[in-house]
Amino acid sequence: MSDTLFQIDGLCVDVPGRRLLDGVSLNLPAGQMIALIGHNGSGKSTLLKVLARQIAATHGRVTFEGHALTDWKARDYARRLAFLPQHPPPAEGMIVSELVALGRYPWHGALGRFGAEDHQAVASAMTECAIDRFADQLVDTMSGGERQRAWLAMMVAQQAGTLLLDEPISALDIAHQVEVLALVRRMCHEQGRSAVIVLHEVNMSARFCDHVVALKGGKLIMQGSPDELMRSDTLQRIYGLPMDVLTRPDGRPVAIPA
Amino acid sequence: MTRAVRISLPLAAAFAILLWLVAATTQLPLADWPALPFRPDAMSIEQILMAFGTMPRGVMALLAGALLGLSGAILQVVLRNPVADPTTLGISSGAQLALVLATVFAPGILDYGRWPIALAGAGGAAALVLAVGAKRAFAPVTMVIAGLLIGMTASAIATAITLAQGEYLLSLVIWNGGSLVQQSWGGPRALTLTLIAGAIAATLLARPLRVLSLGAEGASGLGLNVTLVRLTAVAVAVFLAAAVSAEIGLIAFVGLAGPALARTLGVRGIKELLILAPLIGALILSICDGIVLTIAGQSGEMFPTGAMTGLLGGPLLLWLLPRLRGSTPPGTEAAEGPARRRNHPKTLILSLLAALIIAALVLVWIGRVPGGWAVLDAESFAAFLPMRLPRLVAAAAAGAALALAGAILQRLTANPLASPEVLGVSGGASLGYAATVFIVAAPTAVTLTTGTMIGGVVSLALITLFVSRRDMPPERVLLAGIAVSALASSVLSAIMAIGDARAWAILDWLSGSSRTVSLTGASALAATAAILWIAALSMHRWLAVLPLGHGVAGGIGLPIRLSRTLLIALAGMATGAATVLVGPLSFVGLMAPHMARRLGLARPRDQLTGAALIGAALMLTADFGARMAGFPYELPLGLFASLIGAPWLIWLMMRPNR
Repeated sequence: MSDTLFQIDGLCVDVPGRRLLDGVSLNLPAGQMIALIGHNGSGKSTLLKVLARQIAATHGRVTFEGHALTDWKARDYARRLAFLPQHPPPAEGMIVSELVALGRYPWHGALGRFGAEDHQAVASAMTECAIDRFADQLVDTMSGGERQRAWLAMMVAQQAGTLLLDEPISALDIAHQVEVLALVRRMCHEQGRSAVIVLHEVNMSARFCDHVVALKGGKLIMQGSPDELMRSDTLQRIYGLPMDVLTRPDGRPVAIPA
Repeated sequence: MTRAVRISLPLAAAFAILLWLVAATTQLPLADWPALPFRPDAMSIEQILMAFGTMPRGVMALLAGALLGLSGAILQVVLRNPVADPTTLGISSGAQLALVLATVFAPGILDYGRWPIALAGAGGAAALVLAVGAKRAFAPVTMVIAGLLIGMTASAIATAITLAQGEYLLSLVIWNGGSLVQQSWGGPRALTLTLIAGAIAATLLARPLRVLSLGAEGASGLGLNVTLVRLTAVAVAVFLAAAVSAEIGLIAFVGLAGPALARTLGVRGIKELLILAPLIGALILSICDGIVLTIAGQSGEMFPTGAMTGLLGGPLLLWLLPRLRGSTPPGTEAAEGPARRRNHPKTLILSLLAALIIAALVLVWIGRVPGGWAVLDAESFAAFLPMRLPRLVAAAAAGAALALAGAILQRLTANPLASPEVLGVSGGASLGYAATVFIVAAPTAVTLTTGTMIGGVVSLALITLFVSRRDMPPERVLLAGIAVSALASSVLSAIMAIGDARAWAILDWLSGSSRTVSLTGASALAATAAILWIAALSMHRWLAVLPLGHGVAGGIGLPIRLSRTLLIALAGMATGAATVLVGPLSFVGLMAPHMARRLGLARPRDQLTGAALIGAALMLTADFGARMAGFPYELPLGLFASLIGAPWLIWLMMRPNR
């Protein structure tokens, strides 16, 4: 197995009256596409937000590339890691190329010049996400799938080695779900990036991801390969519901509620 | 009933009674109290004061508090809005304006009683706010902002009229502040009848309101006539609030505090809320009045209790905000529909600049003379220039500064209704001005400007401090600002109630004027505006990212706390500088950024520059209008600007969403 991306040790997150994450310890490998799964309220989004430094840990220690999360400076962290929140906000009055250019902020800062390197990064990010032809279009007038690709392009322009995505496909139709996940998978496998993705859909996780982490009630319940996930006893433990695993003609497993 | 209620209510009641008794026995020893029935011909002066002054006053406080608490509870339930109350929805201010108008222009109407007039004013304000709300799915914060803006406009007009009428209307000012002083049992009798009517209406409405708390779709799915219930409930609430306004004037925030405290004490159901909110409201107002009576004693008889409730209400609102989590129904505080976007904004900005310069020149050139209009010839142009130029420069600079502040705040909070007025900056700035007037013996223009700017920055800093403690959504920032505004306005009305010459200086300034400005002052203001503009431009990247919210901004490494603090400080300074000249209310900070955006200026840099130019032009127009409309008398500048701004704003808010 490759290097460790995140090392999580005894992580707890409390909100008044409730513990969202309860003593989670695990290592996330680098260079892979990792799915975070679990039912609603299992703590998967909370874990992702801790990794993105959007919320702070109550107890425990998390390191990213060998350094504790609290030791990273904001812009240095953003150069190494890009985060997309669950519901990308409306970008009022903004065109696609401007949105993608925001991804350059960690590099040029508040006052630095937007140089040739920045233009180059924006252009190649838009090409990679196939949104060149929308460059001058208002973000808010695009369809859901196109808009999601524009936000992905912003993350690509950030040139970070790690992408954190919070349910990137939950608002998309099935064709766009496949398209977006295939794009993220290409980014990981062809350009050596790592990705951590919160996903609802267990079959999508198994089909696109290399590694699966499942949470339940704020605790780590399993981690392993998609093959280890796609067993009816494992799925029942995760979702608390009897599941059948069928085999498709091409040999891939498919899970459905029994 | 929770335990908290069972313990705290009797305690509060005992405290209220104790306060009143202390005040009453200081006034007249218990042994000398008149016996029932009261017969004025057989009583001493002190006994008459007790029987027809202090006693009805105590009852009045209870009744008015109960009415306001009930009104607030009904409004909060029917609008599903935890911060609705007669003050925040502008209802009380509407009644106040109607009464001031009637007193000044048609005193004859008052023979028929104050009630119909107060009711008309309150109803008019409520109708406007509801009309705005209906277009925005009754989004809570939008409605409160609309209500506050309408309320502030009404108060500004009322203040200007009071000012124009001179000192013999001091009683109006005191009434505006909500004085509970009584001369007979007539008021308590009228309010008792109102409370009985209100209680019956609330009983009948309790069940429909509970169904309505599911939301309009859910309620009509259960066969409820949503429109009818909403209208009836609001009408009842408006009637209750108007009755209080007619009898004792503007009592702020009791309608908010009653239901809010009931909820913090653990009340969940609507029926319990409708019972407890009036009780708590009665106790709050009673305790406030008891404090005024006890501390101020006889000398403070004219100190309005309404100012006291405002003093408590502002901090209370701030304390409540973090606890509102979850009680605001989800729903976006949406902006108006998409505005177009210009790809080559330079042409537009240059033509705006040209228009501004031409307008300034023309305004120097033409003016009104006794008997008509005159265009100056070269000779008188030279003579008039030193008189007209400073005020034109000052007005334009103030307009630009306000517009910059508005543009920054709107982007920072991602709320298109944010503006210096709503964020409490103006309120804080006016407090700074008032404090300077009172502390410094003979304040110069520089001292006043500094004092005002400090006031603006301090109030903003308070809001930021409060907001940065939690992961606060932008609309909460606005509510915190509203709390500060309320606090400031009640302190101001308390100062007014003292009624000496300095108070009149403040009242004069509150409506804004540019007539006294010197060329040095004007140049300093212009330089300030230019520096603020450059500073804002240098932060344009933050202004582009911040509307996208915490998640995105944090994700790309933006220093969120630092950027917020700097931008807020910038907006505070811009507002403070402009407020010295225009007074606290003008709407330019709200209008100009909107107009810039509507004209297609979408990028932060373009919007900032465009808004500054438009703001300058707007303020020039307002200044011209203020000088010309009532020639040879001069209308207050800020007031004239609000008279342009308020209708436009209401139109904007009433436009369909998409």
